Amino acid sequence: MNMTALLEVTVGGVAVGCVYSLLALGYSMIIRASGIIHFAQGEVMMLGSMCGLSALWVAPSLHPALVLLVGMLAGGALAGAMELLVYRTLRRRGVPLVSIITATVGFSIFLMNAARLGWGSEPLRYPDMFRGAVEVSGIRISPQLLWVAASGFVIMVALQIFLSKTRPGLAMQAVAQDPDAAQLMGVNLSRSMAATFAVAGAMAGAAGVMLGSLFFSFFEMGFITGLKAFVAATLGGLGSIGGAMLGGILFGLIETFGAVFISSAYKDAIGMMLLIAILLVLPQGLAGLWRRLR
Amino acid sequence: MTPLLEVQAVTRRFGGLVALEAVHMQVASGTVHGLIGPNGAGKTTFLNVIAGAFPPSGGRLLLEGRDITSLAGAERARLGIRRTFQNLKLFAEMTALENAAIGLHTDSRAGVLAALFRPPGQRREERAIMARAAEALEFVGLAAHAQHVAGTLAYGHRRLLEIARAIAPRPKLLLLDEPAAGLNPTEAASLTGLIARIRDAGTTVILVEHHMDVVMRVCDRITVLNHGRHLATGTPAEIQADASVVEAYLGQDALAEALAC
Amino acid sequence: MIRVAPALAFLALALLPFVLPDPFLLHLMTSVAIAAILALGLQFLLGISGQLSLGQAAFYGVGAYGSALMTGAGVPFLVAVPLAAMAAGASSLILIPVTRLRGPYLAVATLGFSIAAYLVIKNEEWLTGGSLGLMGISRPTLFGLRLRDPAHVYWLCAGLAALVWLGLCRLADSRFGRAAHAIRQDEDAARASGLRVTLIKTQCFVVSAVISGLAGALFAHHIRYLGPADFSFWKSVEVLIMVVIGGVGSAAGAVLGAAVVVLLPEWLRLIGDYRLLVFGATVVVLMLFGSGGLAGLWGAIRRPRGAAP
Repeated sequence: MNMTALLEVTVGGVAVGCVYSLLALGYSMIIRASGIIHFAQGEVMMLGSMCGLSALWVAPSLHPALVLLVGMLAGGALAGAMELLVYRTLRRRGVPLVSIITATVGFSIFLMNAARLGWGSEPLRYPDMFRGAVEVSGIRISPQLLWVAASGFVIMVALQIFLSKTRPGLAMQAVAQDPDAAQLMGVNLSRSMAATFAVAGAMAGAAGVMLGSLFFSFFEMGFITGLKAFVAATLGGLGSIGGAMLGGILFGLIETFGAVFISSAYKDAIGMMLLIAILLVLPQGLAGLWRRLR
Repeated sequence: MTPLLEVQAVTRRFGGLVALEAVHMQVASGTVHGLIGPNGAGKTTFLNVIAGAFPPSGGRLLLEGRDITSLAGAERARLGIRRTFQNLKLFAEMTALENAAIGLHTDSRAGVLAALFRPPGQRREERAIMARAAEALEFVGLAAHAQHVAGTLAYGHRRLLEIARAIAPRPKLLLLDEPAAGLNPTEAASLTGLIARIRDAGTTVILVEHHMDVVMRVCDRITVLNHGRHLATGTPAEIQADASVVEAYLGQDALAEALAC
Repeated sequence: MIRVAPALAFLALALLPFVLPDPFLLHLMTSVAIAAILALGLQFLLGISGQLSLGQAAFYGVGAYGSALMTGAGVPFLVAVPLAAMAAGASSLILIPVTRLRGPYLAVATLGFSIAAYLVIKNEEWLTGGSLGLMGISRPTLFGLRLRDPAHVYWLCAGLAALVWLGLCRLADSRFGRAAHAIRQDEDAARASGLRVTLIKTQCFVVSAVISGLAGALFAHHIRYLGPADFSFWKSVEVLIMVVIGGVGSAAGAVLGAAVVVLLPEWLRLIGDYRLLVFGATVVVLMLFGSGGLAGLWGAIRRPRGAAP
């Protein structure tokens, strides 16, 4: 394999990894704040993708950043609404966690079939938002990949700033670490929880637009992608923000390289086996390793 | 005579913190051995090391002369070391009787196939477990609560149920981690009597306790820890007269007063 | 431990083929019985030992393909089915190291196992027929007698489901079940009582896998065609839905949950494309009933001893 192909695979892996990272961030934020494995996260992504695509149908010359914004708004509104309408009620009734997690699976089925009714059951191609190719020292790279990787990084940096510098972001962090103390400090718990879901949904919506623009939008696209992103979040260490970002990109690279060098039929299995191995050696994921090294 | 439990130079570190440093202790069979010390002296850590909740960083533990340092908690429990927990760890959804029956798990054998096919041996064993579990409840005075779900019992009763679960198999060594915490004076007094009866029934007891009147009344010997080190060992009278012990407790006025009485 | 209400329900179900001799209904009810066995397997694991597995589809697949391949090679049905169930149990031993994990970590590790098993089924064409699957699997055959009548197949599967139920109630109400239940509530206290936690958790996994394998084997001979789609991760999720909407910790709940998950989409066929939409919404709404699930509503049916309150 020559350098060109290697670079292409790497950029492809990072781009897909950014999608996983954004989704994994959502899983991590939600699990940290509420303990819920949000299985519908993949469907939130899928609907973000569909909404971005519809925006492009309505306004074909829409700037990619705005398409991304549409996806984020759709995802954020959807996940926030799920929390406000259902999960909050379930928590207030003291329903056990496994029931709430099953409800997220129910949502997943519901949203998937809602999308099938709305957008049909055929894969839908995103119109090319970019033409031509970018050349880096003689190697041509698809602008689509670069766009995905770049917007992924920008969104993640923005999230980091939001969480560490702004009041609502800090409140979310505080709730995740110690709900009782946060409440004593005057943080509105249920508002902060809704914000957590909304931000996680926005991340998923962005991931949906990015993934859709790389491949296509499809009512079933969310489930397996969501699972892989959950694996990435576990790889990074569930509940760790930095871990989720790193875990996603690493998972994207491992999967892409595994498909090229080992077996494309077992592409999904490579990631899963790796996951089991990592869980056994590092039960706290990469974040745990980091803490131990320090 | 070999002591029942011999602790040789046990050290335990957590990261950079030294919780126990080269602690020695000998516990004679058939005694109640108190373990006291100011807050943060390392008493609970010490108890956890003896129970096998985590391994020591250095040193050895001998049970009747046999080295048990490398054995996990469950294996030590099988050899006859049972414990209670400071912050109560009951099986909250099970009845008091079932909780006590779990204590007898190691004394019985029936497995998956026996449970499915219920041969006569399994039924006999099950009856024997329940009879002995009921005995243990009777011993601590919970016979009337046998069919109550553990999570619904009053606090004092839950403390007693933990003791019943631990003594049901008639262990060699019972580790009690602050059994009087949260009990009213009447309950604490009857606990003192219970600990003495446990000893008289043949179980050696190591007692970590803050209630000094309980400790002084029931212990045959006492070991004092301070900052993770061994400070003194002796009879209750010797400990009360020990200047270094009193000094260690200075600044903890309430406890110093308790010690003086 | 048989109580009056389940016994009456069982009697009614046993007489079903006489009352409603409709082949399609019997076919569906056989599917319910098989799903019930599968759900009981997870109920034992989750309800008694508290381990959340999202890998049940893998054991189900091992049982199904195992029995189909063995009968295809001439092994009699009565030998192949138990052997396939045991093979599923043996395959769960791969997961021994995983039993150390808890909660979401255990769920995701078993999920990984399930996805890997699915890919093996899909890709190893020489063994499983790949995406085309296995066709022409023999009908259940008892002592040389081929069960052609849907009623007979129904009785076989429903009878086995009843046996599994009885077996699990016995397991729950035994020294072994008590220990598993204790571990679910407090592992530290269980260790301090001398329980070998990993061993007991592993035994629960094996029992659950054997039951799932049995369900898979019956499925193979009931549908008589196997393709990878039936063993995807969705199957594992479906089993979890059955157990949770039925009520975690309740054997009756697992059976009711299985009936709902199998029958509801069938009844909803009337509304065509909306059926899975409604199914998903139903799952969400049912969760509002809380941990009791359907079994909690069905006051007449008591839980097995040792189950969650």
